[in-house]
Amino acid sequence: MKRALVVATLCFSIAFTSVAPPALAQKKSAPVEATPPPVNEEFKFGKVDLELFEQVQLLDRRFEREGLVLEDEATSAFLTRIGKSLLPKGLTLENVVWKFRALRDPQPNAFALPNGSIYVTTGLLSLMDNESQLAAVIAHELTHVMRRHTYLQNRSNRKKFLTINVMSAIGAYAPGGLVGTVITIATAVAPFIVMATIFGYSRDLEREADLKGIDMMISAEYPPEEMVKMMKILKRDIEGENIRFFYNDHPALQERINYLSSYLGGRADKVTPQMELNREQKAYFNSAEPIMRHDFNLEINEARFRSAVYLAQRLTDFNPTSSENAYLLAEAYRSLGPRAPELTEQELTNSAKKDAAKKREKRTLEEEERELLATAAGQENWKKHQQKAEELYLRSLSLEQPAPAAHRGLGMLYEKLGRTNEAISAYEKYLELAPTANDRERIQRRIGTLRK
Amino acid sequence: MRITSKSDKSFRMALTALFALVVAAMSPLAVRAQFLHPKVTSKQVTIRNIVILPAKVQVVRDSMKGPEGMAAESEELSSRVEKILAEVLASQKHVATVSGSVAPSSDGATDQKYSVADFQSKFDLLLPKIMKKRGDVKQGRFSMGDEVLNLNLDKTADAIVFIRGQGQALTSGKKAFTLLVGGKWAYLKLQIGIVDAHSGEVLLYTDPALDGDPTTAVDRLRSALEKSFKKLPAAG
Repeated sequence: MKRALVVATLCFSIAFTSVAPPALAQKKSAPVEATPPPVNEEFKFGKVDLELFEQVQLLDRRFEREGLVLEDEATSAFLTRIGKSLLPKGLTLENVVWKFRALRDPQPNAFALPNGSIYVTTGLLSLMDNESQLAAVIAHELTHVMRRHTYLQNRSNRKKFLTINVMSAIGAYAPGGLVGTVITIATAVAPFIVMATIFGYSRDLEREADLKGIDMMISAEYPPEEMVKMMKILKRDIEGENIRFFYNDHPALQERINYLSSYLGGRADKVTPQMELNREQKAYFNSAEPIMRHDFNLEINEARFRSAVYLAQRLTDFNPTSSENAYLLAEAYRSLGPRAPELTEQELTNSAKKDAAKKREKRTLEEEERELLATAAGQENWKKHQQKAEELYLRSLSLEQPAPAAHRGLGMLYEKLGRTNEAISAYEKYLELAPTANDRERIQRRIGTLRK
Repeated sequence: MRITSKSDKSFRMALTALFALVVAAMSPLAVRAQFLHPKVTSKQVTIRNIVILPAKVQVVRDSMKGPEGMAAESEELSSRVEKILAEVLASQKHVATVSGSVAPSSDGATDQKYSVADFQSKFDLLLPKIMKKRGDVKQGRFSMGDEVLNLNLDKTADAIVFIRGQGQALTSGKKAFTLLVGGKWAYLKLQIGIVDAHSGEVLLYTDPALDGDPTTAVDRLRSALEKSFKKLPAAG
């Protein structure tokens, strides 16, 4: 009886501590008009933080070694210039060395490691319209480092994982009867509740990073409303992959757009000439074009064909006389094959996206294409896209400094269409124009197979 | 002094057996399934020389306060898996491992690094599909396409090995906790795919697993790998 009482008391006290934080977290949320000082000066490194710091240092090196960092001097200089312009002057932080890098990843994302490494993926860099939007992303990430969010989050998570374990222990030795049932249910649900509190806490930190980011943008003369525009860009879901789960470590994008717009208020009214310059699309595209082209190949490699079309179209719109850009658009349409270039509203519903994700895990790309080609719509798309691809390859070859790879693309297109002789001569032309190409052996083998 | 009756004893024995069963059920299964492409089983293709791409094995230390990263240990384990696998294939199947470094590409080492990284991520895209229906490797359903030729590997290489793995070690506190309450013990699960270096077809898939602390496993790892390649025809 006494044991049951102790267990029941423990259970309810833990249940209270686990359930209470979300409610408290809401009350604790910073009012929209106030942002904290840029640096968390009270933060003192503990053993746990230093362990995390060490892990993060290794992670940084691993990114480099595994070819995930875009090693391009111009890109690094571009990102560093923007990053440094946002940092408060003379700022030094313990265990922080600022590094601004592009990560070779087509998924739009950005993150900060607590050692000062800021990563923006090529996928995100390719979606932006101007330097100010990039500044918005970097300012947000800088705040995570300056306010030591990762360490704080890690400490908080560890406390909550301890709670999960304690609850499991109680659950395993629960007495029978009603008390036992309550504990069993609480134990089964505990990770959920505990995770929810983690979720709530993280949302507060994200909000802080958003609002502080706005302040930093204004100080560095970047138009702050570009952060809201950046959120809107992130809301676009070209591949239908933004599935909402119960947990999500960023506040819903619409919610962010709302509180950022409200925070901006009069702050967005004052526009300086420098702000106008930082809004220019042309200047951004001049710097980002090589990154976008690099990202294009990653999009194709990861079978993100709709994003590839979108990106190549952006490049072609920006620089219509570039043979390279016309070639990329042709490649995008050829790879798109029988798929529709855009998802329908129905396909963008959460349940449809979940179904599509499940299918992606089961079907190979060839199987997906075969299935689509068995439908009238798939056939029509395929025909249309192959025609478009051919036109664009030919256009690419008609422009100044024609891209030799357009011949290879034509070869692949003709091979698929069964136009064997044309395929062979297109491949041969490619090898003639690009004698040191990386894929020489592949193309030679293809020619050999076609000749048999 | 407690008096134990015969029925008490058998009840305790049954309880112990049940406990052992539960522990066995909760620990990762020591499955060493192997799936070979028909071209390999029919000896149409013989694997003689392989290139092992850098293994990606991640281990975490599970403590009472949640999982902690083991970045250095993961790297060390990844290298160990590559090394032991090469040794096992050489000694048991007469398969030689050729250097992964490649004929220099036109744009140098960075391009080659990117190229390897992109193929690794391409394999990561294919892996869930293979794991969903491992048996389909026997039907020759999976391929990475002839783009593998763009890796420009050593001309003698006829297959490329991709290694993935996940595992966990436990802190002593977590071990005691797991003993009392149950949960996942220390383990290591690997997924190994061997891909034809010319056509990109998946020639072999196997997923060895072992129990116990993965960071200290050497003999257990070797034995698990030996069992995982039993069906592969020897090159000699």
